[in-house]
Formats: sequence, structure tokens, C-alpha cells
Amino acid sequence: MPGFALFVLIMVYPTVQAALISLQKWAPVPGGRSEWIGLDNYLKAFSDPVFLDALVNAGAYTVVTVPLQMSIGLGLALLLDGAMPGRTVYRVLLYLPVVTSWVVVSLLFQYMFQSGPGVANLIVVDVLGLVDAPVPWFLERWTAFIAIGALGVWKGVGWAMIVYLAALTAVPRDQHEAAALDGAGRWGRFVHVALPALRPASIVISILLIIGGFNVFISVLLMTGGGPANATQVPLTYMYQQAFEFLNFGYGSAIAFSLTLVILAISAVQYLATRERKGG
Amino acid sequence: MSGTISFWHAYATDSPEVKTIDEIVIPAFNEQYPDIEVQALAVPYDELRQKLVTAAAGDQLPDLVRADIGWVAELANLGVLVPLSAEMQQFDELASTVYPGPLETNRWAGEYYGLPLSTNTRVMLYSSSLLGEYGLTAPSTMDDMNAMAATLAEDDIFVFADNGAGGWNILPWIWSAGGDITDADVSVASGYINSAASVRGVEALASLYQAGNVPNVILGDSGGLGPWEGLEQRVYATIYDGPWTFAYFGNQYPDFDLTSAPLPSGAGGSISVVGGESIVMTQSSGNKPAAAAFLSHLLSEEVQLEMARVGQIPVLESLGASLVDINPYYEHFVEQLQTARARPATPAWAQIDALLQAEVWKAIRGELTAQEALDRVAEGADALLAEYR
Repeated sequence: MPGFALFVLIMVYPTVQAALISLQKWAPVPGGRSEWIGLDNYLKAFSDPVFLDALVNAGAYTVVTVPLQMSIGLGLALLLDGAMPGRTVYRVLLYLPVVTSWVVVSLLFQYMFQSGPGVANLIVVDVLGLVDAPVPWFLERWTAFIAIGALGVWKGVGWAMIVYLAALTAVPRDQHEAAALDGAGRWGRFVHVALPALRPASIVISILLIIGGFNVFISVLLMTGGGPANATQVPLTYMYQQAFEFLNFGYGSAIAFSLTLVILAISAVQYLATRERKGG
Repeated sequence: MSGTISFWHAYATDSPEVKTIDEIVIPAFNEQYPDIEVQALAVPYDELRQKLVTAAAGDQLPDLVRADIGWVAELANLGVLVPLSAEMQQFDELASTVYPGPLETNRWAGEYYGLPLSTNTRVMLYSSSLLGEYGLTAPSTMDDMNAMAATLAEDDIFVFADNGAGGWNILPWIWSAGGDITDADVSVASGYINSAASVRGVEALASLYQAGNVPNVILGDSGGLGPWEGLEQRVYATIYDGPWTFAYFGNQYPDFDLTSAPLPSGAGGSISVVGGESIVMTQSSGNKPAAAAFLSHLLSEEVQLEMARVGQIPVLESLGASLVDINPYYEHFVEQLQTARARPATPAWAQIDALLQAEVWKAIRGELTAQEALDRVAEGADALLAEYR
């Protein structure tokens, strides 16, 4: 009972309060007159080109960074699952980005992707020769998202790796041995023994990473602030701007709830899709 | 009179400003009012607006705030400020001593919710020796600026640099071209922000950018060379900026021959943008008479002169003539202030400014024509202004 009371106090009350705010033209000051406007804030959000673009941006960020984090994380987990010298050191080093501060690394990546002689331009111009002149990364929507996405992947692979490592240790050794006796090579054992066993972990990782992808915030806020000209706005930076810069708290709350609905819908589809296949 | 009053000010802790407040201004006040304790809090400028909004929501505002002139209408609209013109006895007397331009920025819905405390504006800044090498002087008209751009481009020098395309940056171009932002009542933007003259102002800047005479930092390019650094490295010939630039250059690049001039004139004249701060009293103040006494003290000649010594341009008309004796570099700022204009006083300004910045950004890059961009600003601004009419 005390646990439930605590849950109501810190989870339910603020959520209900925010939901109520999203239905008003809300006056942030005590005693101020707030006006009930029903679903107007929601209708406004889904016809606001900036919010819709922000959803597309977050979607693109998710579609690119989630598979990369999962595949690189799995690759690293497979490498570090076998016996090798310094295994623990590598595991710790690869996990380090996960526990570093978003603020610090966002500023660091912004510095690396600066328009002049930054590390990123050194790589694409001098080392790889992909382009002739330094790229002004943060002046264009998608080049800015290369920088933001690179940070997201760098910071996320360690987490995917650790979850996959935990899942790999749960794969029974005798299945590997049985497969080897039946003549399966390394690749065959990976595809037919390890991958099926990793399926539950992959589902969990993908659901959590997709939720995280749509909630991308600090890196975008610090690296581009949603600019230039709203080109890199994501739902949470736009929510932040509306609420705390423009004092449109009602609209900000509506944006936050709309994002929750979108994520819920995606998670539900994902859950149903994976459950179906399991049944079939 | 007795009691305690709190005062949030955002004076810079890394300059002599805070020291002057704590060691000269407040002790002088206590000589007259020994029983009033002033608790002054230096909040970083970038954080003050956020802190004020949070404090307003939590009913925790201080008695007095030194607020950016752009925030007064917004805070007044929230209902947290005292309408000084209606409720403060000394208001008319104090209002008659300050410059009318900065005073107007405190007006919202027919009342004055603050009094100006310090003012500033942007002038043209350059290196006279750099221009001298090319036989040039500061451009006095936009035509001079364009001619200068062509000369300097031969040596890969950008004629002008700025670090954004928001109102603070772009309004001087619009006003100097003879354009405007809204009507006099700040109720409508269509026909003003997208007038032919306003469009010419944005076009003047956009065409300089598109010809390669203005660097990418104007588009918010991170990691690009900032206006101050570029000026010092003689890559940028001119910038527009405020009096604090002299304080910064004096510390960082003492050998640089930083020189000022009025902004180049267009069809509308040489019109810059007014910046600065106001002093406002909050409704939640528990000691309004004491707060009013300290507010009056901040607008005394004595305090205004002390603050002028550390870089804050006073708002008292009576001090205009003596400013150049305090800091010789005030000369062009005082001259520019004669015609400088304030951004429209409306609670919607933060949103209009963001819209202006986003659309003008596209015009500078050539993604939209200046007319298309400003038409979009006009449409959005009209809707925003209607919400507060």
C-alpha cells in the first residue's frame, strides 16, 4: 500500500496534471487564468509542419541508429564472448561511453564535427577523400544528423553489447557442441544456435532503443538547438522550446503526450509482430 | 523604512559590474536607508529568463529584477509585474529623466511595467589600419559597403560578419532600408515586415552573403570563426556589435585598433537596434515601498555614473554629454542611440524572433526570396500578435 501511494504521488499525479495542462491554454503563474480548449493543442500539433518534421527527424534517427547499435553491439559481444586476453578491459572500455555524461560528449562531438578543421572533416576530406572541401556539418539537416547519429551509436553500442553478452552466456554449451558434431561451422552455429537464443534479448533491445531513439533530446539540444531554421528539431527539443522559451506550456504538454502516443503505437505494433512470429 | 528586499540582476561576475553593485551601489543606498537590507543575486544572463519563469510559476519571485528589455512585456502579460505607471508614486518624475526610446520598451497594454536601467545598441566596428591599407574608410552608405565588398574580396576578406539572423542581427538592415516590423500599436505585421523596403533590407544582406562577402557564421555555423575572432584575425573587415566589445578587446587583444562608426545608411537612414535592461518590481514583493526606494536609487545620477564607468550606458538624458569623458568609445553609441529603435514590445516577441530567424536564414541561403521569407514571417507574426491583442 505505501508503495502504491508513492507510485501515485510521483508517477500518476504528474502525468494526470500534465494531461490536464495539455487541454488548456495554460497560464504558468499561480492565480493566472487558464482557458480550457479541449483537443486544440493536439489538433495544432498534428497540423504543425515543425512538429511533423520533428517526428520524421526522430524516426530517421531511430531507423538508422537502432540497427547500427544492435549489429555493432552484437558483433562486439560475439568477439568478447570467446576467450581472449584483456577481455574484461575491452568490455569496460566499450561500456564507458554509456555511463559518460550526455552533456560532455555532446559538446565534444559538436567540437569534432565543427565546420573548419575538425576531426570529422579531417577524416572525410584527408583520410577517406570522400569530399573535396570541409563539410559545414551543422548547416544542413542530414549532415547534422550524421553527427548526432554518430554520437547516438557511439554512446549506445556498449549497452547493446552488455545485454547481448548476458544473453550469450545463457546459450547452453551442449547445443553448440551438438551442432559442431553435426558438422556446423562457426557461421552455421551462429545462425542456427546463437541467433535463435538471442531472439528475446534482441526484441527487448530493439524496443528500448526505439523508445530511446524517439526520445533523443540532450544531444540535439546542445549540438544544434533544433536549428538551423528548425531543420533538426526533434519532438522533445520542440516541446522544450514551446514550453520553456515561448511559455506555451499547454502546447508543450500536448507535444509530449503526442510523442507518447506515437511511441506506444510503434511499440504495440512491434510487440504484436514479434509475438505472432513466435506463435507461428 | 525597514526590511529586506531581494534583487536579481545578471550583472557579469567576470567584469567589475557585480563588484560595483555590491561595494558601491548598495552601501550608498544603506547610507540613506540603513534599515533596508538589499539581497542582490547575480544570475548568469542566459539563465535569468528561465529562472524568472520557474520562479513565477512557483510564486518565488524576488522584489526587483533587472530584466532584459525584451522580457518586460512577456512578464507583464503573465501578470507578475507591478504596473509602475499606475502604482508607483515616483514614476512620472523618474520617467521624465530617462530617454524616451528605452522607456517605451516597458509599455504593455497601456501601462509601464518597468523603467530603463541601462541601454545599448550596435554600431559598426572595424580595424582602421586594415581599411587604411586598402585606402578605405568606414562605409557610410550601403552603396559604399557593396563597393568595399568587391575591393576586399580580391584578398579573400569578408566585408561583414555577424553570428546570427535573429531580430538583434537583422532589424538594423530592415530599418536602415526604410522598412518596419509592425504597425505602431504592435497589432499587425503584414504590410510592415514584408513591405518592399523591408524586403530590400534583407536582400542587401542576402546578396552580400550569396556573393561570398559574408561568412557562414551568420547561419549559425558552429566551429566557424566568430565575428570577434575573425575581426581580430583580419579576415572580417567589419562587424556590428555593442559597447561590451571594447571591454573584451581591451582584455583579449589590447593591441588591436578597434574603431567604431555609425551603421551604413540606407533609404531609411542609419538605424540600429536598442538593447539594454529594465528594472521591474514584482507583484509578489512583500515590501514595495522599500523596493521602490532602491529602484529610485538605481536611477540616480550617482549610481548611473558608477555603472557607466564599468560599461553600462546610462539612461538619464542629463548624463548624455558627460559619457564620452568616462569612456571615449561611447561616442558613436550615444550618437547611434539617437535614432536606434527597440524591438516591438509584445509577449509574442520570442516566438516572432524565432520565426524571423528561421525564415531569414532561408532567404540568406537563397532557398527563398526575401519577399517569400518575409511574407511567411508576416503571416505567422499576425497570428501570434492576434493572440495577445
